[in-house]
Amino acid sequence: MAEWNAYYHNEDEEEAEEREAPGGEYKATGRDSLVFLVDASKEMFIKGEDGQPSNFDMTMEVVRNVYIHKIESSYRDLLALVFYGTEQSKNPRNSFKHVYVYHDLDEPGAKRVQEVNALRGEKGAHLAAKLMGSGEASLGDALWCCSNLYSDIKLRLSQKRLMIFTCRDEPHVGDSTKDRQARIKASDLKETGVVIDLIHLMKVDGFDVSLFFRDIVSPPEDESELGLQLEPCDKLEDLKKWVQAKEQKRRLARMSLCLGEGLDVAVGVYATAVQAQKPTPVRLYRETNEPVHSKTRTFHTQTGSLLLPSEIKKVQVYGKKQIVMERDEVDAIKKFGDPGLFLVGFKPMEKLKLHHHIRSSVFIYPEEDEVKGSACLFSALLKKCSERNVLALCRCITRRNCPPRYVALVPQLEEADEGKLQITPPGFNIIYLPYADDMRTLDPPHCPPASQKQVNKMKEIVYKLRFTYKSDAFENPVLQQHYRNLEALALDMMAPEDIDDHIMPKVDQIDHRLGPLVQEFKDLVYPADYNPETKPAPKRKAADAGSGAEKKAKVEVTEAELRTHLQNGTLGKLTVPVLKEACKQFGIRTTGTKKQELIDALTGKLGP
Amino acid sequence: MAGSKSALVLCMDVGFSMSNSAPGEESPFDSAKKVIQKFVQRQVFAETKDELSLVLFGTDSTKNPLSQDGQYQNITVHCPFMVPDFTLLEEIEHQLHPENQQGDWLDALVVCMDLLQTQTRGKKYDRLSIILLTDLNAAASSDNLDVIVENLKKAGITLQFFLPFPVEDDEEGQGDGDRRGPGDPGAGKGLSREQKSGLEMVKHIMLSLYEEEGLDEIYTFRNAVEQLCMFKRIERRPVAWPCQLTIGSSLSIPIVGYKAVTEEKLKKTWITVDAQSKKKDDVKKETVYCLDDDNETEVQREDIIQGFRYGSDIVPFSKIDQEQMKYKHDGKCFAVLGFTKQNMILRHLFMGSNVLKIFPARDDEHAAVALSALIRALDELKMVAVVRYAYNRCSNPQVGAAFPFIKPSYECLMYVQLPFLEDLRHYLFPSLDKNKKIAPSEPQLSAVDSLIDSMMLVGEDENHDQKDLFKPHHLPNPHFQRHFQCLHHRAVHPDSPLPAMEPWLAAALDRPEVIKERCQAPLEALKKLFPLTEVEKKKRLKTSAQIFGKDSEEPDAKKAKEDEAEEYNLADIAEGSVSSVGSVDPARDFRTLIKQKSLPFGEVCQQLTHRIEQLLSNKNTHYYMKSITCIQAFREQSVKQGNADLFNSYLQSLKRSIPSRGLEVFWDLLVQDAVTLISKVEVEASTVSRDEANQFLMAEEKKEEAAAVPAEDTGDVDDLLDMM
Repeated sequence: MAEWNAYYHNEDEEEAEEREAPGGEYKATGRDSLVFLVDASKEMFIKGEDGQPSNFDMTMEVVRNVYIHKIESSYRDLLALVFYGTEQSKNPRNSFKHVYVYHDLDEPGAKRVQEVNALRGEKGAHLAAKLMGSGEASLGDALWCCSNLYSDIKLRLSQKRLMIFTCRDEPHVGDSTKDRQARIKASDLKETGVVIDLIHLMKVDGFDVSLFFRDIVSPPEDESELGLQLEPCDKLEDLKKWVQAKEQKRRLARMSLCLGEGLDVAVGVYATAVQAQKPTPVRLYRETNEPVHSKTRTFHTQTGSLLLPSEIKKVQVYGKKQIVMERDEVDAIKKFGDPGLFLVGFKPMEKLKLHHHIRSSVFIYPEEDEVKGSACLFSALLKKCSERNVLALCRCITRRNCPPRYVALVPQLEEADEGKLQITPPGFNIIYLPYADDMRTLDPPHCPPASQKQVNKMKEIVYKLRFTYKSDAFENPVLQQHYRNLEALALDMMAPEDIDDHIMPKVDQIDHRLGPLVQEFKDLVYPADYNPETKPAPKRKAADAGSGAEKKAKVEVTEAELRTHLQNGTLGKLTVPVLKEACKQFGIRTTGTKKQELIDALTGKLGP
Repeated sequence: MAGSKSALVLCMDVGFSMSNSAPGEESPFDSAKKVIQKFVQRQVFAETKDELSLVLFGTDSTKNPLSQDGQYQNITVHCPFMVPDFTLLEEIEHQLHPENQQGDWLDALVVCMDLLQTQTRGKKYDRLSIILLTDLNAAASSDNLDVIVENLKKAGITLQFFLPFPVEDDEEGQGDGDRRGPGDPGAGKGLSREQKSGLEMVKHIMLSLYEEEGLDEIYTFRNAVEQLCMFKRIERRPVAWPCQLTIGSSLSIPIVGYKAVTEEKLKKTWITVDAQSKKKDDVKKETVYCLDDDNETEVQREDIIQGFRYGSDIVPFSKIDQEQMKYKHDGKCFAVLGFTKQNMILRHLFMGSNVLKIFPARDDEHAAVALSALIRALDELKMVAVVRYAYNRCSNPQVGAAFPFIKPSYECLMYVQLPFLEDLRHYLFPSLDKNKKIAPSEPQLSAVDSLIDSMMLVGEDENHDQKDLFKPHHLPNPHFQRHFQCLHHRAVHPDSPLPAMEPWLAAALDRPEVIKERCQAPLEALKKLFPLTEVEKKKRLKTSAQIFGKDSEEPDAKKAKEDEAEEYNLADIAEGSVSSVGSVDPARDFRTLIKQKSLPFGEVCQQLTHRIEQLLSNKNTHYYMKSITCIQAFREQSVKQGNADLFNSYLQSLKRSIPSRGLEVFWDLLVQDAVTLISKVEVEASTVSRDEANQFLMAEEKKEEAAAVPAEDTGDVDDLLDMM
């Protein structure tokens, strides 16, 4: 149990609050807090080869990202930015030298983002040099100062995290007193529930964690030392990802996965992808811009008295009849059982069809501290399902009074990248399956397939436009625009920053890459006078209106034309009425109305 | 399908032979009546515009337009075409009885055809059909059989037979095992001569109408009742979305998209009515807006503007400005961004709530060929198109993947939405493999293996055909089934409690029987090999003092800082120095102390609740009123401080202590004043939803009436306490 406790110890407080929502949606009660403790020594400002940004620059980029991310996703969380190893000092009681508190722990806002922005790039380096300078470092003082930041906060904090960004593995260059002091302060901090992470950056001769930092950071989350990144970060993208992954972990619910009677595995449910929405607006009083709150009352129209819930009933009307139910009966109808996952059986993976999709999936991982032994059974199930390529079909009730849905538990094994950073965690993805009611009956048109020649041409086009899809490659332009607008308004900017619309096709590039292929393809599939842009329906209407009587005559083709089409194998370019007319002309009796049948009939008659 | 309508004649034999049955068996009449009832019920709840007519034959009287000179006797048109409602259901229930004549079923068929032709004239129907329920026991003259068939064909009327016995499998080889269960009454050779010749005629009609498939349109009463148990699945007319698929600037293919899979919702929502009058108009809901000041000053709706949070800032941002500055695009679009390997698209990252199927534009052969080329190219290369999709100008654009989908009868692209960067959450979890303490042993793994073996839902049957025992996408949504079952029950029996779930539905939701049996042993083995023990939870805090004890250490000081300036006014100074919540006017003291901020919020609250408890120990209305003022002050300040937890947990613990302390009178006063929990709507950090807050008082009401505590409600309270 030791390592499980270690893993969860940072969540202790969160734990306590989350128990309130068994199977319900996650409700944030406490706030998360995160302190960036950034080394401001000269080494941090050295630029990489080929104009690579300096470590300091990269760090500021990441910090800015987290600020913005927090504003957009959980603005009530607290952030702080503290530099150590500075020449100047600035901290609440000015009791620490070489520690510069740039931002104390507070909710991030537009102004702070702006201030972090100012530290980016060439200009940022200048500003940092002017404002803080680089000097002697004492990590002990810095940590002490950070612990003061925490103790000044009187809010309930659900998570306390401190990230040290540095490229120096020996900040005190052998000063053992300072080393010892830092260790003591670090352990003090950890005792109060602060998790200390080290984000070590690229250093020319390699960063040796064992020299000093091993004793500073919080113990890894489990035996496999997953918590400690072994290789230093040198790429901005990795750094962003890494910081982000560490910084968020939110469980939607706890549930039991029931395999059979007495076999209940405790699992936590996590959302791996949730459609991010524009935040809901706040109502403000026009005169003062202060927020207002709303109160909703139900009252009787005749007497004007407030109606208690017990004085209300619910009604639906069917077949001219009003059917009345009590409010609790309305809830009872939706109740099919207690929340949880109930195993129905297993199926080969190929039974999960692509189109069996009705909502985003969620992810489950065992909760050892809820039911001991869960992790072992879960792990065995995961291993075997993956090995045999089967999915587990379960009945799933997410909340009380929530009707059941069937879900497929799809095994996902752990994967890590070269940097040993976990890319996919081990667990099951839960795919929600549709009911018969959710499958709509469509009437698909019956059309002739394309010839292999046409398919091959399209393959060339596809081949020219292939790219490697990454799920995190596209930003939502709608949200980005919204936040840029808010930012502009909040900071009294003249105009919002421009956004890149990542999901706009790069038409010029596509055209350039395809070159003549498009025309070649069009020649193969479209007749010369065909214009796909005009809708076929109105076109026909126009023709009808002008010459209703001539309609039939219009669709005729001469025998010569027909024979040319036949020879070229392009009969498919003609329309069904034309082909039908042609059949009539040659006295071919055909019962078929499908194009291919008509073509076959004509080929049979006229062909060699 | 919604929008279209059909006309349908239910033609039922009520002649005397229909009430003959073997002892212990249901008579054909009763079965047929059940079929009709279930059918009409379904129609009522599906709210189709379909019109029904009911024709009975074998009746003692004769009432139909064709009866003349002894022709077409004992046939009664019970009701002309109408949209079925509960009145019709009641009529069927009470007015349909077995009668004493025999009627010619072919004559009845002719009456039905006549009815369809004369009564539907001038109206537009998509479908005309006749459903004939009979035991074929009356002799029918076969003279005009071919004329009847010819007329049915000409009029485009579809015909279905429902018989008490199955059509035997004969040389036509209609081996449809599902349809004809061995338990069908009358199966086998027990047919009368009339029935045999009748059956031949039925077969003749059906075969000449629909060729081989005709025999599939003959059902037994029994399987019809089974199938009709299910309420009609919700169907919606698919809405076509015409667009252009574009690749670059010059290649476009006319397409049309349809929603193919989407979570269907019930069409009707519950209407709130007054409990007494049952009238909707007697209930009015009103929302008012209030400032966060002491008096909760109401603000007019016109004086409210919209703002958004940007971190700690609130930015006023009017709807007009928002509209003007928002992201704009060119509207409807299905544009290819590029192509990628199918395996790059992760199944668990599918977003959105539906799947679209993309077909070529209707009646456009060239578009069909072009799209087919794309579909097949993608299929052969195992690739997908990544596209920008926008439904129209007003909707937000998406990024998604278009998969090739090729079926023997048709082909299309299947579009699924993919995530944006903002949607993704990346989590790190401890490795399960590398942790030796939890690594499963070999015997444990093989136990799981045999569990999987025993619970495989897909297997081969004797004929080596793959058989899937459990297909959720063939299951009707149990929620809808239960919903309609309860509605129907309540409509027919308004005063009885809701029925239990129908057995067939309960069975359909559970593990298939075979699996249940097979997995017994492996599950037992698993239970032995994997010990699972629930971890003991921390002791729950019960008393309010304990609750406050913990939280008062972390007062909401930061919030307090912000409010400081605005609240320093003369009144406060005049009140002098208040150092604790006194007994004279505890509510005022409480407010003052909160304003002074000399003490942490939690501590002041604790002092207040202490006073409330003291007041409540004197069982006297005057003290009750005072207590309520205190509770109201507590609530008001909590909302202001954005700290709902203390108040909510106090009110919950108070509520629980009511019965033991005999404070029901006091509680009633509290209910009257509608002092309930602070919901999320008022304080964001609150864990109580608005409904829960509303219900909080109601549940109490119930308890008094029924003296039964709803189990769920107490659950809630415990859960909430747990968090403290």
